[in-house]
Amino acid sequence: MMETIFSNFALIIGTTLMYSTPLIYTSLGGVLAENSGVINIGLEGMMIIGAFAGATLGYFVGNPWIAFIGAGVAGGIYGLLHAVACVSFGANQVVSGIAINFLGIGVALFLSRMFFEGATMTKSIPLDFKMPRPLNGVFPDGSFLNIILDNQYATVYVALIFVLLIWFFLYKTKYGLRLRSVGEHPTAADTLGINVIRIRYFAVIMSGVMAGFGGAAMSLAIVSNFRPTLISGHGFIALAAMIFGKWKPQGALLACLLFGGSQGLAVFLGQFNFEISSQLISMLPYVITIVVLIGFVGKSAAPAADGIPYEKEHKY
Amino acid sequence: MKLKFKEIRKALYIFATEKTIGFTLIAIFLGLVIGAIFLAIAGFNPFQAYGIILRGIFSKPSYISYTIIRATPLILTGLSIAFAFKTGLFNIGAEGQYIIGSVVATAAGYFLHLPLFIHIPVVIISAVVAAGIWGGLAGYFKAKFGVHEVISTIMLNWIALYFQNFLIYTEGFQKPGGETSYSIQPTANMTILKAWKGSVAGREWLLQHPFWKDLLRTPMNWGFLIAILMAVLVWFILNKTALGYRLRAVGFNKFAAEYGGINVNKNLIISMFIAGGLAGLAGALQVVGVSHKVTLIAAMEGYGFDGIAVALIANSSAMGCILAGLLFGALKYGGAKIQPFMRAPSEVISIVIGSIVFFISIPKLIKLILTKKIKKGGTK
Amino acid sequence: MFKKIIAIFVIVLFVMSIFSCGQVKKESSIKIAMVTDVGGINDQSFNQSAWEGLKRAEKELSIGVGYLESSQDADYAPNMETLLDAGNDLIWGIGFKMGDTIKEKAMANPDQQYAIIDYAYGDETPINVVGVVFKEQEPSFLVGYIAGKMTKANKVGFVGGMKFPLIEKFEYGFKAGVKLANPDAEIFSQYADSFTDAAKGKAIANQMYENGADIVYHAAGGVGDGVIEAAKEQDKFAIGVDRDQNSLAPEHVITSAMKRVDNAIFNVAQLLVKGEFPGGTTVVYGLKEGGVGIAPTSYKLVPADILEEVAELKAKVISGEIVVPYTPDTYAEWLK
Repeated sequence: MMETIFSNFALIIGTTLMYSTPLIYTSLGGVLAENSGVINIGLEGMMIIGAFAGATLGYFVGNPWIAFIGAGVAGGIYGLLHAVACVSFGANQVVSGIAINFLGIGVALFLSRMFFEGATMTKSIPLDFKMPRPLNGVFPDGSFLNIILDNQYATVYVALIFVLLIWFFLYKTKYGLRLRSVGEHPTAADTLGINVIRIRYFAVIMSGVMAGFGGAAMSLAIVSNFRPTLISGHGFIALAAMIFGKWKPQGALLACLLFGGSQGLAVFLGQFNFEISSQLISMLPYVITIVVLIGFVGKSAAPAADGIPYEKEHKY
Repeated sequence: MKLKFKEIRKALYIFATEKTIGFTLIAIFLGLVIGAIFLAIAGFNPFQAYGIILRGIFSKPSYISYTIIRATPLILTGLSIAFAFKTGLFNIGAEGQYIIGSVVATAAGYFLHLPLFIHIPVVIISAVVAAGIWGGLAGYFKAKFGVHEVISTIMLNWIALYFQNFLIYTEGFQKPGGETSYSIQPTANMTILKAWKGSVAGREWLLQHPFWKDLLRTPMNWGFLIAILMAVLVWFILNKTALGYRLRAVGFNKFAAEYGGINVNKNLIISMFIAGGLAGLAGALQVVGVSHKVTLIAAMEGYGFDGIAVALIANSSAMGCILAGLLFGALKYGGAKIQPFMRAPSEVISIVIGSIVFFISIPKLIKLILTKKIKKGGTK
Repeated sequence: MFKKIIAIFVIVLFVMSIFSCGQVKKESSIKIAMVTDVGGINDQSFNQSAWEGLKRAEKELSIGVGYLESSQDADYAPNMETLLDAGNDLIWGIGFKMGDTIKEKAMANPDQQYAIIDYAYGDETPINVVGVVFKEQEPSFLVGYIAGKMTKANKVGFVGGMKFPLIEKFEYGFKAGVKLANPDAEIFSQYADSFTDAAKGKAIANQMYENGADIVYHAAGGVGDGVIEAAKEQDKFAIGVDRDQNSLAPEHVITSAMKRVDNAIFNVAQLLVKGEFPGGTTVVYGLKEGGVGIAPTSYKLVPADILEEVAELKAKVISGEIVVPYTPDTYAEWLK
């Protein structure tokens, strides 16, 4: 009895990690962009591009790390598009982000047809050429840690490392301080000699890179191919997680884990043939998120200059 | 010849900067150019493709009718989002409000038995109120608990999706052996001449009158007129009423509004209620006018997300939403036709729409191109 | 120069757009086109399979073919009209969701021929419509039998997309097969309430494997990608659906319950060309008609003796000796 409780618990934790990982990357991307003062609602589109690029490179190159980095680069190029619009041309950032989402799915499917003989589903990558699973077979079969970690891909750990890195960058380095000051008060930052434009470019491109990683964490680890519906709403959930986490990397991590955890719970509860409808169980993660927000998190405030294009001549 | 080009450029510049509609048209044109480039890369003749789209939209009365029917819900979800934008809120939840509107309309249309001219208004009003409450919920969470509306509406979208499926599975509502609900009662139906079109006499008459057959084969209904009416109403509320003034004041500067004695929280809820109601109306009209039932949905249908693009193309103007909705409906309806006629991939339409929205987001770039041209042209 | 090019481009674009209107290629031969459901043409499932059938017909019967994708349920009717105006001899609706639409359009256009996949009108089939349904329970039954024979843990699983009658045919057919082969086997069954969420499919399959199952069958579209992925990782077995999914994981997908939508589409096209369009009837494709079956790659992982038993079982289903259950009630009956 005790044993089953443990193994069920381990299963939920395992599902939580799996589910959260793509969201963690992507919401970290959101954290970077928005702390520099640029709203990035195009995370979904950037994730799609990353997922497609990862799956395609993974299939043709056969090296998961090259594919993973390539997905980041593809996301970054896509982020550059957003950066050019938002930083150089003072675009309405919400509008540009929505455009990125429409373009993302269009471009990904279009390219997929060119690379895969007219198919919008890429070919499957064999297990050996997917991301490695560092702790596969390390713990004894059936043990608590084995159930959790046996099949977790490197992407999971890399995501956690990225949370640390970005937290360190934002709060412990002078560049992070600069980035945040640009997001809070660009005019003041500018008078102090900080290059607002350059920092925002960096932040938005990096947010594309992270979202690209997020997509690849989906197509190179959770599954092994790209299909048009692979990313359906994940970017928006990541966006919500970032806001939930109060625009902070550690907060975003917790929000993603909460969401993944409630999905794990939904999967766990779904195995029993309850009298209640499975629809209501599937609803659970979204209800839990709202309830937690209402009960425990409360007000969150975006960086002060979030969403406002910065122009040198502009007088505040 | 040179002079002429210069003048055209100048005219274009004025066109693009002084009037937003002119600027929007240029953005639409550029979006089509990008789409053409993608088509050409893929080895398709873009002129032929656009020809098919144009013909697919305008060459028959029924095509125009279908375009309008396709556009109607988009106009309303666009209005919903535009309205929220004007009051400083980002309503990503139009999708879920649409779902609530359509499922409540179906329930009211099926379970209630009322006379013809009472049933339709009752169905629509109950759907609008339900969806309004659904939207208002997000406003309430924000007002009372400070929950950002972007998060709550994204979550409410998914909850609405599962809620609709949950309701369809309930006994008495689900059509036995099927994956849909029962159809609404004939009294709740707003499709013009629906019963007659399905009758033997109607079918025979239509077979002998091709023009009417073509026109009436679409589920033509009054939805479009209601959508236009709503656009006028939204414009009126926002610009001509005290409520609209308060709502806009909150959207413009929350703190100043509060200082000025406006109850910000109350207005937040009202604004989300109205936005939700508009999106719910889209769902209700779709049910009474087109689908007459709801189906199990496995994924978001996109009415709400497309509505965001509509609101943005319209620059959040109520009247603009009508035109943007029509454009969007036309691109989606006509764009699908390039597939069967020339086997061109229809995701080009996503690229076109994305590019249009992208260019709309950067008025400065377009102005820059045009000014540069004038300067260069001057020196030549 | 640049500006002139743009200006010329503009003019040419508009002029060509208008004039190219009439240039749609007219083909003299028979034309067949299909409307996909919201899954789209590359759904790795019946839409894609249907299109493969049409492409085969194009090649072998030299007819004209085309398709139109639907992105929302509301697109079905206008898409039907578009294909009607394009002068197609036969219009296919792919998927039960188009049932009502096809009927309505067929009544309004008695001269046009229609056909639909996964929908039966029974006695009310209009004279210009063919309904095509599959006995999904039959191949599910066969793969269930394989699973029941091959499971070492006496535990197998089923992952469904969404719970409605069509998917339940897969579930109960499978369960019946398992129980026949192995009456003691425990069968886990869970629905994902999605056809797209691969991560959820993987989580559900992981859970089943962790609970001791060693073979999981899925009827869940994109969710199934996750199921097969879980099998790969845990080195357990999975069973594919609709198409031969062995290529997704050559060492772990032991077999697939195939639904040959392509064959059905091709057969109807053949009949149409011969002038024997079976209007007004419902065509049922089961094992008997070769419309469903198990994947040809099954021999790679399934022992030959089990395949022989499956062949015998198949013969019994074809002869009518075994009637495979496909609903909760018929399954309960079967268990007795």
